[in-house]
Amino acid sequence: MKRLWQTRELSTVLILALEVLFFAWYLAPEGGRSHPFLNGPNALLILKYSSIYGIAAIGAAMVIISGGVDLAPGAVIALASVVLGGLFVESGWSLGASVSAAILVGLSCGVLTAVLVVLVGLPPFIATLGVMGIARGSAFILTEGRFIDVSGSLPRGWQPFGVPIDWIAPGAMIGLAIVFQILMVRFQWGRGIYAVGGNETAARFSGVGVGAVKTSVYVIAALLAAVSGVVLAIVQGQGKADLAMGYELDIIASAVVGGASLSGGRGSVIGAVLGTLIFGVLRNALPQIPGATFYDRLIVGLVVIVIVVMDQLLVRRGR
Amino acid sequence: MSSAAVSFRDVRKSFGGVRALDGVSFDVAAGDAHALVGENGAGKSTLLKILSGSLRPDNGELAIDGRPASFAGPRDALTQGIGIVHQEMLAFPDLSVSANIFAGRELTRWGMLREREMRDRTRALLERLHVPFSPDTLAGALPAAYRQLVQVARALAFDCRVLALDEPTTSLTDAEVDDLFAVLNDLRQRGVTLIYVSHRLPELFELCERITVLRDGHHVGTFDRAATRSDQIVRAMVGRDLPPRVADSSAGPRASDQPLLEIAGLTRRPAFEQVSLSVRPGEIVCLFGLVGSGRSELLETLFGLYTPEAGSVRVLDRTSVPASPRDAARAGMALVPEDRQNQGLFFNLDLRHNLVLSREMARGSLCVRDRLERSEAQEMLRTWNVKAPGVEAYPDSLSGGNQQKVVLARWLALGPRVLLMDEPTKGVDVGAKFEIHSIIRRQAAAGSACLIASSDLPEVLELAHRVVVMREGRIRGEIAGEHADEERVMRLATAEPGAAA
Repeated sequence: MKRLWQTRELSTVLILALEVLFFAWYLAPEGGRSHPFLNGPNALLILKYSSIYGIAAIGAAMVIISGGVDLAPGAVIALASVVLGGLFVESGWSLGASVSAAILVGLSCGVLTAVLVVLVGLPPFIATLGVMGIARGSAFILTEGRFIDVSGSLPRGWQPFGVPIDWIAPGAMIGLAIVFQILMVRFQWGRGIYAVGGNETAARFSGVGVGAVKTSVYVIAALLAAVSGVVLAIVQGQGKADLAMGYELDIIASAVVGGASLSGGRGSVIGAVLGTLIFGVLRNALPQIPGATFYDRLIVGLVVIVIVVMDQLLVRRGR
Repeated sequence: MSSAAVSFRDVRKSFGGVRALDGVSFDVAAGDAHALVGENGAGKSTLLKILSGSLRPDNGELAIDGRPASFAGPRDALTQGIGIVHQEMLAFPDLSVSANIFAGRELTRWGMLREREMRDRTRALLERLHVPFSPDTLAGALPAAYRQLVQVARALAFDCRVLALDEPTTSLTDAEVDDLFAVLNDLRQRGVTLIYVSHRLPELFELCERITVLRDGHHVGTFDRAATRSDQIVRAMVGRDLPPRVADSSAGPRASDQPLLEIAGLTRRPAFEQVSLSVRPGEIVCLFGLVGSGRSELLETLFGLYTPEAGSVRVLDRTSVPASPRDAARAGMALVPEDRQNQGLFFNLDLRHNLVLSREMARGSLCVRDRLERSEAQEMLRTWNVKAPGVEAYPDSLSGGNQQKVVLARWLALGPRVLLMDEPTKGVDVGAKFEIHSIIRRQAAAGSACLIASSDLPEVLELAHRVVVMREGRIRGEIAGEHADEERVMRLATAEPGAAA
């Protein structure tokens, strides 16, 4: 965490660039037809879908850097989408009020996690496993499994604040990533997170408010997951209790691919967002390769292993 | 003169660009107790790791009983009769003593554990070592001293002919050291060769016939106990004469001064009860006590890490017990903790962050000012004479003594009026110890009140204006520095429970 931009992030950018180049070459069309992968609308599509993961991954990275882990984001995303959909579509609330309510629900999930981890002293894995069940379960109870069609209720050609709707999600992801990267590197609060993740006992002895640091990361992580849920509901136009199943693992994988260490103290917010882009490109490009449909989970798994092993080899050589 | 049990022949080992061992050759005679000394970073631990099979030398060879030996791993070394008692406690805290002793080489029949036989053999071993706990005790529930003995027992269980001990007495009390030495002498009677690594020279002279000195990866020499004085060993270790001890230039505390730290009736059961003491500006008060006497707990409570049940604390003109370390730091206190690896350093952060963290947290500053902090950190490395490649180095690239100075510097950066230190020189070499002592004196001379917990009796006698002795959580007596001697202090620290202090 010496500088805002570290060599570790450069290597993630490099991997992303190589990946894009590979698919640009592999999917290159024959003779004059437009490129199916390398074009503006497709890039926007990748950014748009990646931002659902990316916004939550910002929070997940902070939790992981603090030495914890968060299994709840997938469930919180679903709960937020359901709350937004239910209030906006079925109860006739205004969009602004529905969004605020969805984010507030996410916030309370975070507060619950923080209470369990900091006050009760549960291991984060267990606490967030419980909160995951509570959030997912609440989403099912609220909707009784119904699908809520949000897209039908959104005004056609809707441009909030004069920005086309497709740009909102990527814009939010990039903006939040920059803000939190600065908070993590340039502010005392971020240094406290790295200190707690690196050595919790030493942090306590050194006057870091360990409880406050942990509370803040779990609350912010859940808050950002709820923002992801709002983005999902608007981008995909739906609210449903079984959305975003298993996203928590993709999000953790993104943070790790972006340089975070599950033992805490290492990683970055920007790296995690770049990690989600690496997976976003894979998810976008693989289905375009004929016959690759059934391979994408396998390839995603291999990519995680290869990148993390490479990282460890580099770190080891650096010592 | 018997033959060599262990011979090192031109052993070399490098880590990255650092030469840890640079052509070390010497013999350890069979049945000898052979001491291995050197400052931190001299290569002792590396040599032991090679002996125990955890590391392979880059060059050179190791001979056991005159035959070249090479080990595939620690297990291999153990089967060939080389046992190591490590400095760090490698015990499995959640397993029983007998499971710890047989870990990795359990006695089995058809794949089933032969619990009863292991327990019986453990009981026999423990009796041989004269230790009063059962084979079924959880290793984690044992005091530090006994955990060391569990490791000794583990080595014995495998019929070691060579037993190497890496600073086994660091966390032991004098009485426990005596017990350990009795065990070791007994082992030597039975023909076990001992290799003994320690910083404590008096111990070496008591136990070992020969003393090998390493410095910067080189073999400086092997000395006969009979023909050597301890200052010769010190000179060989540091490669120079230590400057004569600076006569304590500070006038010491003045009786008329108002104490900066005043504790009355402080209680946090079961660690300590009814502790009252005060420290005046310029005064160094040493809190002497054996492991388990409640010293560390007292300091940690003063520093806001725990809430006391009763009693009052006054720091300067503040009369409340600090609620947190940050609160304590704001009140003008600093605590240099005992265990720098676990309580002091952040190995994921560079030295700059390690150095400024506490001060910035205490100040409650919002932003990280990179450039300013970097130059301040550089200044701190210079002031406290920390040998480090730069402020962007990580703590794991520093030797133990320099790591300790980093932790010290972090707290001194706050300009504390009340300095609490817990075992400030535990596990550091002679040179660093000397420097840390002069830093403490300098702080006192500048008007700070210093309260220093230590179980290193010579250190206590050298530093203290006043010695306060704790035993079983209570203060048992106070002796003015000039009247303190080993006997008086130890008598207070070890008196039988119930005896009048």
